[in-house]
Amino acid sequence: MLQRDGRTDRRTAPFAWLALAAAAAAGALAPPPARAGDRPAGKPAAPAASAGDANFLDPLLRQAWQDAGLKPAQPARDDEFLRRAYLDILGRTPTVAEARAFLEGRAPDKRARLVEVLLDHVDFPKNFATEWTNLLIGRGRQERNVDRDALTAWLRKQFAAGRPWNEVVYDLVTASGSNKENGAVNYTIAHLEAEAVPLTSRTTRLFLGQQLQCVQCHDHPQNDWKQADFWGVNAFFRGLKVEEKRAVGADGLEKFDHVELSDAPTDAFARFDRRNGMMGVAFPRFIDGRKVEQPDRAVRRVELAKLITDPQSDLLPRAMVNRTWAHFLGRGFVNPVDDIGPHNEAALPEVFDKLTEEFRESGLDVKQLIRWITSSAAYQASSVRPGKQRPEDDLFSVMALRPMTPEQLFDSLLTATAAHRPGSGRDDAKRESWMRQFLFAFGNDEGDEATTFQGTIPQSLMMMNGDLMRDALSGKPGSFLADALDQAARQRRSPAAFMVDQLYLAALSRMPSNAERSASVRYLENNPDALPYLQDLFWALLNSNEFILIH
Amino acid sequence: MTPPLVTPRGMHRRHFLGHLAATALGIPAAQFFSSLRANAAAGKKAHKSCIVLWMSGGPSHLDIWDLKPDSEKNGGPFRPIATSAPGVSISEHMPNTAKQMHHLNVIRSLDSKEGNHERGTYLMHTGYVPNPTVVHPGWGSSMAFEVGSRMDDFDLPHCVSINTPGQGAGFLGMSYTPFMVQNPNAPIANLAPPADVDELRLDRRLQLLSRVENDFIKQRGAQPAVDHKAVYAKTIRMMNSKYKDIFKLDNEPASVRDAYGKHSFGSGCLLARRLVEQGVTYVEVAMGGWDTHADNFDALSTRLLPELDQGMGALTADLASRGLLDDTLIVWMGEFGRTPRINPNAGRDHWPRSWSVVMGGGGMKSGQAIGATDKDGVDVADRPVGVMDLVATMTKTMGISLDTQYTSPRGRPLKIVDGGTPIPELVG
Repeated sequence: MLQRDGRTDRRTAPFAWLALAAAAAAGALAPPPARAGDRPAGKPAAPAASAGDANFLDPLLRQAWQDAGLKPAQPARDDEFLRRAYLDILGRTPTVAEARAFLEGRAPDKRARLVEVLLDHVDFPKNFATEWTNLLIGRGRQERNVDRDALTAWLRKQFAAGRPWNEVVYDLVTASGSNKENGAVNYTIAHLEAEAVPLTSRTTRLFLGQQLQCVQCHDHPQNDWKQADFWGVNAFFRGLKVEEKRAVGADGLEKFDHVELSDAPTDAFARFDRRNGMMGVAFPRFIDGRKVEQPDRAVRRVELAKLITDPQSDLLPRAMVNRTWAHFLGRGFVNPVDDIGPHNEAALPEVFDKLTEEFRESGLDVKQLIRWITSSAAYQASSVRPGKQRPEDDLFSVMALRPMTPEQLFDSLLTATAAHRPGSGRDDAKRESWMRQFLFAFGNDEGDEATTFQGTIPQSLMMMNGDLMRDALSGKPGSFLADALDQAARQRRSPAAFMVDQLYLAALSRMPSNAERSASVRYLENNPDALPYLQDLFWALLNSNEFILIH
Repeated sequence: MTPPLVTPRGMHRRHFLGHLAATALGIPAAQFFSSLRANAAAGKKAHKSCIVLWMSGGPSHLDIWDLKPDSEKNGGPFRPIATSAPGVSISEHMPNTAKQMHHLNVIRSLDSKEGNHERGTYLMHTGYVPNPTVVHPGWGSSMAFEVGSRMDDFDLPHCVSINTPGQGAGFLGMSYTPFMVQNPNAPIANLAPPADVDELRLDRRLQLLSRVENDFIKQRGAQPAVDHKAVYAKTIRMMNSKYKDIFKLDNEPASVRDAYGKHSFGSGCLLARRLVEQGVTYVEVAMGGWDTHADNFDALSTRLLPELDQGMGALTADLASRGLLDDTLIVWMGEFGRTPRINPNAGRDHWPRSWSVVMGGGGMKSGQAIGATDKDGVDVADRPVGVMDLVATMTKTMGISLDTQYTSPRGRPLKIVDGGTPIPELVG
């Protein structure tokens, strides 16, 4: 770099090491190909006339906080909001370009605009499809008769098309035909074992927010559920026919191809053991006591789906509101999120009721629900606590710190480091195989599973020493680190400062503080080992609590 | 190959970090791992340990510990055999364990009331039924906390789960959450840093990390941020630990490996012995496949019981011969037992009302059968035992006060033992 009088200033030194470091990393100084992912996500669209405005929630929230004597947190800073909105809506952190575009924006409604952009982004349906695939069939399902990818692809289409939630649920409950052609079929066939006990409990938990699984064996001690309620719902799943179909493959050999699910009219009933040793029987009967006329003629799952999506009932919208609120705020109004009822007191009941009512009025529009939640004072609150207060329940007046899900972490690591580009392929299969090392299936009749992931020593070891991190930091051509070094070498002002800014933006979606920046710049300008130092700094940022927690 | 993390000869680790502080980095030496010391004191155990053998899915107690050969409808095909404990007989498919029964006790009259996998698992691990307002710590984590907080120099996790995630630590925090060993026959994944990261670079990484980490905690101060740091500190200690070879079973003689069996349960039992030998407080070894709604008897006789018997028999004998049994409590249990009634699929279903657990060692009395069920195995006929009675018995055996109480983050007092009484025949 030349000064006006033609002499080299002291900043040529950093220029020199950066060029060297980049060359060492890339093996060449050729500029990397342009990356689609580096650009801001689409052109910000103007939000539909205050459609996302949650003004109907904020007075209720403020009143509740005031009544409880809570001082709400400050509004979140732009970088806090940016990061959580990307993680919650797209399931990943923003790229450096996306972060810069938002942070430098000046529009007063830029947060609402960002939410619109994110809801139109291709990663939104992808993220929600991933989450709902996990909810519907768990993370571990790998049997050959369950086509996980087909289910995810189907869900992706529904979220992308913005279909009303009741229609999505109706299709999931009634789906029939080939599980390859109709991905929704996989929900039902994944849970048919043990006389569809798992299907019964998942269906009531996920769509109605009711935990009936305990009453499979006995009447509930804390609420009004009876054993017959469980088996009444279970009886809707009688008469299902599952056929394995074979086809000739590319190698000319006939092998398993797909599963066909169909409903055959039946007069079958569910039978169960009562605790007194007697046998109980149940015909299709919904949890509110409604029965199916002539169950031997009806397509029972269609009858069940009608009851679940009955517009007169608010169970379906209520369950979805609670779960979606928990997705964005870290916990539901009611917890566990699928155990809603008078026995389980809700936090902010007025807000819960109002949001449920509005969601119902909207025709169960999921994107609209997201707009309301993300524009509410609760979602807009900082995660920095005001003062020393540690109330028993802060009623969402401070944003909770939440660990990323394994999927969010994986996708964020790839976004931040571009570790996928040097030949490793960013795709769901890769993520799934990575996930599997943290997955544990209990192998029981409920299909229970757990991940050994969040906040554990194996997770820390993976983050510190694992292959993914090794690739991420390798500085191989095309990786974020190599690109950033290359860009830094072309900077007119301090390349070291630029480099440090890039790393902080990539990992933490914020600019470094002055102290943070100057500490690193000082080191870089005075030492020859730039690449190892930058790798170490990036390693530290990616391993930090600030990276792995949504805040 | 030289392990990449050996501290330079003659240099104490903290001393070494002090040297780093004076480098051009200009960052004060990180206090991130302020409790990091060279090595934990090895040698004799100063406290008791517990090994729980966890039968995931709900084991068929009537075909293992409480046979009913005289019950026409519920008895099943298995015959009882005599054991080394006079008057105590168990299943014919448990011959190795039968030889160790003088070290153990069967409790045949447990009523645990929860017949759902998730709730039963929670109950048997914590002593409490699930409650939406608080997540109870697993009993193992409570023990790890009690003992661990008295041992500030210990490089291994205090609480380890083999073949299972185990129960979380609830409000005790992530550092008491079980360290899960997915596969006891394989090395721990990612235990060593990449080859190009030497000790100097690792230390620099940790210093850089500590700056971000501490700033974030200072701003937010919330538990997840603090936990994250604690888990990293624990992880680093383990990476540096001279005990990291503990997880390598290849160091054991072939005869020992053969005695335990090389299946995941047998290997898990052997690893458990190695861990408690070094001072780990709580080790859980899980074995799956017990949810035998169909073909119960085939599954038991051909697969489940041979593995269980080999691992459990070898573990008990090995602990006894090494003089570790008096300091090591062994507990065998699952989330519930299985129905006396045999269903049309030759299976047994979930049954929490009257079932069996086994425990011994840790200095308790042994060789007894406590309580009984009736002729058909349906009702408790003698000496009902509740889950909290088990928890009280185990806690007392571990030498932890029955009055131990924690305050949950919401200010609610929670006892390790709430309302249970230690079984006097065992720990009178």
